[in-house]
Amino acid sequence: MPARRIVQVAGKDVRLLTGGDGPPLLYLHAVGADVDWLEIHDRLARHFTVHLPAHPGFAESTGIEQVDGIADVVLHYVDLLGVLGLRAVPVVGASFGGWIAAEIAALYPERVERLVLVDALGLWIDAAPIGELFGSTPPELAEVLFHDQDHPLAQMLRAMTSIADVPEDFAHAQLKALEAAAKVGWNPYMHDPKLEVRLRRVTAPTLVVWGREDRLVPLVYGERYRDRIPGAGLEVLPRCGHLPAIERPAELAEVALDFLAQT
Amino acid sequence: MFHLMPWPHLPESYAGPAWVKCPNAFYDGRRGHALYNRYLDELVRAEALGFDGVCVNEHHANAYGNMPSPNLIASILARQTERMRIAVVGNALPLYNPPLRVAEEYAMIDCISGGRLIAGMVVGGGPEYYSNGINPAEARERFSEALDLIVRCWTEPGPFVHTGKHYKLRYVNPWPTPVQKPHPPIWIPGAGSYETMDFVARRRWAYMGIPYFHKRIFKRNFDYFREACAKEGYAASPEQMGWLVPVYVAETDARARAEFEPHLWYFARKLLPGINVSPPGYTSPRSALKMLGAFGDFMLNVGSWDEIVDGAYAIVGSPATVRTQMAEMIHWLGVGNVLTLLQLGTLPADLTRRNMELFATEVLPHLRNEIGPRAAAS
Repeated sequence: MPARRIVQVAGKDVRLLTGGDGPPLLYLHAVGADVDWLEIHDRLARHFTVHLPAHPGFAESTGIEQVDGIADVVLHYVDLLGVLGLRAVPVVGASFGGWIAAEIAALYPERVERLVLVDALGLWIDAAPIGELFGSTPPELAEVLFHDQDHPLAQMLRAMTSIADVPEDFAHAQLKALEAAAKVGWNPYMHDPKLEVRLRRVTAPTLVVWGREDRLVPLVYGERYRDRIPGAGLEVLPRCGHLPAIERPAELAEVALDFLAQT
Repeated sequence: MFHLMPWPHLPESYAGPAWVKCPNAFYDGRRGHALYNRYLDELVRAEALGFDGVCVNEHHANAYGNMPSPNLIASILARQTERMRIAVVGNALPLYNPPLRVAEEYAMIDCISGGRLIAGMVVGGGPEYYSNGINPAEARERFSEALDLIVRCWTEPGPFVHTGKHYKLRYVNPWPTPVQKPHPPIWIPGAGSYETMDFVARRRWAYMGIPYFHKRIFKRNFDYFREACAKEGYAASPEQMGWLVPVYVAETDARARAEFEPHLWYFARKLLPGINVSPPGYTSPRSALKMLGAFGDFMLNVGSWDEIVDGAYAIVGSPATVRTQMAEMIHWLGVGNVLTLLQLGTLPADLTRRNMELFATEVLPHLRNEIGPRAAAS
């Protein structure tokens, strides 16, 4: 089991889970689903000391009132690396966390040793708009997030007519997480118009991993990341939706660890 | 009298939301021409019938209420009426950038009407945040900053500098300024979020309960508001609370129901779906869960006529029935302003006209006597 602690970063509480052995690795989570320690983190922790912070406003992390856009989140994580005494680390970022990871790698290339982007938000393609994360009902969310509609989480979402159907603590946490995500990504919707041109600044060796059946952020976004980040590779996971960490943790861990082990 | 100016021509077969994504191919400008003019006639006529005022409000990209700019309607009413109050309830402040536009247009309406404006200020419905791109997680902050700025526009000589989080203006100096001093009365509508009620209580302005809820939700919200005022060290006056309710009067109870029921169901089943969208950060999680909890008591989820009657979602019947039920509700809720929706959904011009006449002659005088001359039935 990982160690849980609260770290202070520029006046904000950060809930930090840390587990495993080996060199440090920073995992940046999606909008809620993988904020807790899951199988994917266990698998990565066999080779790395995995740091899993909750973004501001997620889980027990505070400070959302200090966040007005993606730049505030980037600075927050650069500050966190300082607090942890880490100069440069490999970063794995999924979905929302992938967007943050790509921004850090573009703006502070010297802080990112290797980069794994998993179904990352952050770009915008007119011909393939990002799906609706905020205005969807739970069953609609299951539809855009999961390839396997029988996955237990997909089933749970499909059984809900409203957030009021789940235990109050969980509902409260979900509403708070969505609010925090909206502060960063309501408009422009879940992307940064400046990011695409800035990706040329990324120096970290980069692997882009994508669920082939991602209906929230379709595969063309993965191809765009691969094309814009110098030297990046793309690994497509079949029979997988937007959340490989939830739907295909073993495959995701395998491709990520293979890539991270290269020197 | 309150008017929503609804779109009554949604196809029978359409079962989608009336908000945000309701295809605007259903709109037809020629029908719109006839409708706007009919609805304006109804509002203008309220003055001759003895109403204290009329209310209009702002909604975007929907079939429920076709006044994206209620100020345009209010400015027409300012010219076409002479005595009654014109309440715009209200402008959705976060949608205006800079919000000086609201201070300017409200001042224009107040000047044109000779000081008859009631200035409603709203955060805006949840769907508006999808339709306008404004960040709902900033809605409360923007609303509060804009409202302070507007009041300052009306009470402090310009030019002055405004440096807020969301608006930075080096020369604030709006012309014109309102007739009413220090400023037009301010009404704040709300659907029961704690944030809004606390805010209105603190400023000592007036809170309008948003309708289509079971009467127990109104009661709970007005009770909370009275407590919030008490916490601020004063007793809420009835005029600080407004009850907005659909009303239909006909010669007999049976006839009232027969005439009104199909139009009410069009409203509840065609125009309400999608109104309840609550975007992230729009209210605190605590309020969001409270409001979701009240959703079972929302007209959208009401299935039978008996539930409509029991919950006082609408007051429908003979003059005697409507008089009795409204008087009971006014006493029970402790409200001093009653805002009646006398046109709803597909209710046609002839029935709306007769409803207004019967209400004005058979119900309104009685309510005035019942709740005292200070009570305004607008």
